[in-house]
Amino acid sequence: MNKLSSLALNEEGFVFDPTTGNSFTTNDIGLSIIRYLKEGKDSEEILRSLLDDFEIDSDTAQRDLIDFLAQLRVYRLFEGS
Amino acid sequence: MNEISIAVSGINAVDNPGPGVGVVRSIKEDKSLQVKVSGLAYDAMEPGIYLDWLMDRSFVMPYPSSAGADYLARLLYIKETAGLDVVIPTLDAELPFYIKNERELAGHGINTFLPDKEQFDLRSKEHLTDVADKIGLSVPPTEVVTSHSELTAALDRVGFPAMIKGIFYKAYRVHNHLEAESAFHKIVNEWGYPVLVQKIVQGDEINVIGVGDGAGESLGNMAIKKLWITDLGKIWTGVTIDNEPVNRATELFLKKYSWRGAFEIECIAAGDKIYLIEINPRFPAWVYFATGAGINLPARLLRAALGLPFERDSTYKPGRLYIRYTYDMVTDADTFQKIITRGES
Repeated sequence: MNKLSSLALNEEGFVFDPTTGNSFTTNDIGLSIIRYLKEGKDSEEILRSLLDDFEIDSDTAQRDLIDFLAQLRVYRLFEGS
Repeated sequence: MNEISIAVSGINAVDNPGPGVGVVRSIKEDKSLQVKVSGLAYDAMEPGIYLDWLMDRSFVMPYPSSAGADYLARLLYIKETAGLDVVIPTLDAELPFYIKNERELAGHGINTFLPDKEQFDLRSKEHLTDVADKIGLSVPPTEVVTSHSELTAALDRVGFPAMIKGIFYKAYRVHNHLEAESAFHKIVNEWGYPVLVQKIVQGDEINVIGVGDGAGESLGNMAIKKLWITDLGKIWTGVTIDNEPVNRATELFLKKYSWRGAFEIECIAAGDKIYLIEINPRFPAWVYFATGAGINLPARLLRAALGLPFERDSTYKPGRLYIRYTYDMVTDADTFQKIITRGES
């Protein structure tokens, strides 16, 4: 969570990690997931928020969330579950 | 404030650039200093000679490896003809002369702000393991070899690709025994024994630029990640970062060794480990990056050399981008002719 809190995000999905200098791009859903994680929401809360924010079915939202969290773990940006 | 006369070397702003042009540009951007600059060159084609908005004068120098008396005489001539209150040498090969002759130069009113001999020797790759231990960093597996048979055995243990390095200068990336032997012989012929065989660690190149005050504190430091490097391994784009382990290592480095003067710490970050690759006892060629990010280290160093008050603030914004670029200029042959015929312009 600490690592996530230091990430700099812009509206267009550019993500900069000031610790490593690495940068990433993500889509609107990815950006929202990072923002919710920064707010301290857990997976279930994030899933509910995604369903409210995007025209997306529950299965797709859940799959996207699991995939995206796995990506964040690969880049050592997120350690939670 | 009275006009200050300084000399800066390393004005070879070429594909493997010296730091001099960035140092001068930084100092000239400190509008509270009134500075007249002499560029010190080793070749009439060094671009800095022709950048007349930065260099007020330029002088061709004898090689620092030549007799020290010739080099000293040239500096005294510059003092007499152009004025010289402070010299900022920026090339590795010059530093032994300046460190050895610091007192004599000061006796002539020529000030420097450099590490002492003991600090200078820390950059020896033989000492890096010890330095890394003391500042909380790792070093890639490294073996010291003094013969061909030791080289082969070391490569068997370290594996390929590997770096073959001289103690102070030169490093070659090698991918097989043939390349390793060639690199080994080149280094031995030029610099002698021992030679280091080092495992290549893959990761992000993280560097720190800074100036130590000689009493364990910093006059400012900044960490960057290299984003893109040239075929010669030189930075072309980079970004400022705020990396706690690297910041802590820099602080420890200054405290443990009471470093005085400019430095660059080169690291590789691989996963959770940060490897110390090199310590350079001078400004790096990308020195202007720090100035552009708000920390004018050359101006602070100049002030320290003259005993003037200086800032110590190291606050900068992570995410500032550095982009080196090429530039073409056209001039008449006047300056070139003067440099060739008189050795100065």
